[in-house]
Amino acid sequence: MNDPLTIAGREFRSRLITGTGKYPSFETMRDAVVASGCELVTVAVRRIDLDEVGDAITDWLPEHVMLLPNTAGCQTADEAVRVARLARAGGLPDWIKLEVIPDPRYLLPDGEETLRAATHLVGEGFTVLPYVLPDPVLQRKLEAAGCATVMPLAAPIGSGRGLKLRDTIEIMIEQAEVPLIVDAGLGAPSQAAECMELGADGVLVNTAIGQAADSAAMARAFAQAVEAGRAAYHAGLIDESQEARPSSPITGVVTS
Amino acid sequence: MNVVVNGRDLELDARATVEALLVELGLEGPYALVERNGEPVERARYAETPLEEGDTLLVARPVAGG
Repeated sequence: MNDPLTIAGREFRSRLITGTGKYPSFETMRDAVVASGCELVTVAVRRIDLDEVGDAITDWLPEHVMLLPNTAGCQTADEAVRVARLARAGGLPDWIKLEVIPDPRYLLPDGEETLRAATHLVGEGFTVLPYVLPDPVLQRKLEAAGCATVMPLAAPIGSGRGLKLRDTIEIMIEQAEVPLIVDAGLGAPSQAAECMELGADGVLVNTAIGQAADSAAMARAFAQAVEAGRAAYHAGLIDESQEARPSSPITGVVTS
Repeated sequence: MNVVVNGRDLELDARATVEALLVELGLEGPYALVERNGEPVERARYAETPLEEGDTLLVARPVAGG
């Protein structure tokens, strides 16, 4: 089925976005990115260690994938704006995965600073994909500010705990005016499928793939789960019921 | 000419540009990102942006991240 994910007018065949962190090697990362079929991958921006330059990550990524620079490490809106400007000036895409995270323990984003940075960056012509706590009110504000997506976390980054704030994310999906991407905290393909069944437009996964014993196989499993979940969403899930509903005829039972 | 790059003192040719600095550091690849005295430098202007005595430069690049 032709059912692309469209962000800011750009179509992606895959609804799975992957991060490039947490892999044991660039080779493992490349194999997983290829196996995932994803067309959009996140990268961080860091100063170069002049004593140990090493390989550039871009030498290890397939050419067809689009880089999505993030502002990981930024604790304020001003820091995030600085990183976004540096990335764009240096030739990276003018898309930015906006993360403003003052809290090192749970890595929970600061919604107020995120909105401030988003408003500023949209004004400078960036395509802004903000990472947020599930919050339908903040979602509306970010949409009004011109963000291209809203990306609520399922659970804290790297925790692998799955869709902990499911009810709130369902509200966000229901009212979304731009693509809703569930970002962070997914540990298993089944959890990605759950997001997609609810109607999320996509998911972003990193740790669960990067830290898997076989990253490429896990990347493929996530891709299949995302596809299955999306197909189920389109197919229409049945309503839940407290009581059983027999699948076989209740009349004409042979032994009655 | 003396400049500071990522906290390190470097001595460069008096007519050095941002591009010359990147070549000197072996970082002339597609995604060396540069700030000069706190302002981002456009890639298209690397070759024509002169460095000046005492400049503070930050050179960054995309790395693995989520």
